[in-house]
Amino acid sequence: MGYVVAGYVIVLTILFLYGLQLVWRRRRLNRAVARVVEATPAAPRPGPPGTDR
Amino acid sequence: MSPNPGVPTPPFQSRRTRWLTRSIGITAAVATAFTVWLGLWVTPPDQTQGNLVRLVYIHPGVAWVALYLAFGLAAVASLLYLWPRTRSLVWDRLAAAAVEVGVVFNVCTLISGSIWGKPTWGVWWAWDARLTSTAVLLVLFLGYLALRRVPAEPEVRAKRSAFVALFAAVDIPIVHFSVLWWRTLHQGATVLNANLSPTIHGSMAWTLLLGFVALTLVFVWMLLVRYRIGVLEDWLGTGELDVALRERQAEGGAAGEEEAA
Repeated sequence: MGYVVAGYVIVLTILFLYGLQLVWRRRRLNRAVARVVEATPAAPRPGPPGTDR
Repeated sequence: MSPNPGVPTPPFQSRRTRWLTRSIGITAAVATAFTVWLGLWVTPPDQTQGNLVRLVYIHPGVAWVALYLAFGLAAVASLLYLWPRTRSLVWDRLAAAAVEVGVVFNVCTLISGSIWGKPTWGVWWAWDARLTSTAVLLVLFLGYLALRRVPAEPEVRAKRSAFVALFAAVDIPIVHFSVLWWRTLHQGATVLNANLSPTIHGSMAWTLLLGFVALTLVFVWMLLVRYRIGVLEDWLGTGELDVALRERQAEGGAAGEEEAA
């Protein structure tokens, strides 16, 4: 049963950590986009991605 | 407005899209937890394999996602990019997202297979046709990801990446039919066999099916998030390193203002 538990733990941990890393990357890029939009002078333009229309 | 003039403004991510992504993520997590519960506690041990059969509820699932869904999707998206009528960077972004997620699932396939192989075959690894062709597939798609990091214009990068993806995808049928073409240690197909009649029954079959569904949902969620990352990166016109540098600069600037105050 040790091999079975090890298999589940390793696979699920890899998937969980990769998923966490994806969320973190997306959040960081969203913040970067928000900063760019804030720094851009006000002009008629569509809003940043990740926000509502 | 995109700071990168070459990249058009990406579509807004509507509340509905975000809700859909989140719903798929939550459903995937619940389905995976349910698979683990059924696989470890509910289903009976196998007559021949004993408790080792429990690894079968996740190993074919991750292999299905890596080989067929992720790398298959990457091949189709690459083909659509290369086809002049359907050429769009959307396909390139989709292929890149699918390959990255697929590589993670391919690693999980090799690890879970190896853990099953040690008590069954007595070795962690054997140069068996199925195992070797799967490892070759991983190396090929790691090469694809490495190639994407070489600085180039988006169109140039997309074109050469698409060619590499199609070249790598040739290995997918080799992996699938390896158990038929050569004498291998790896068992033949249990579900996707020639007669399409699964040779597994009862609660084991249902748990295996749920595992496939759960891991497919995990893949879809990861693909959606990874695709979104690609959209944001293209919109910014920078790589992740540039984003990190900007963050550091912004932090440094904020700290400097605080000190001056």
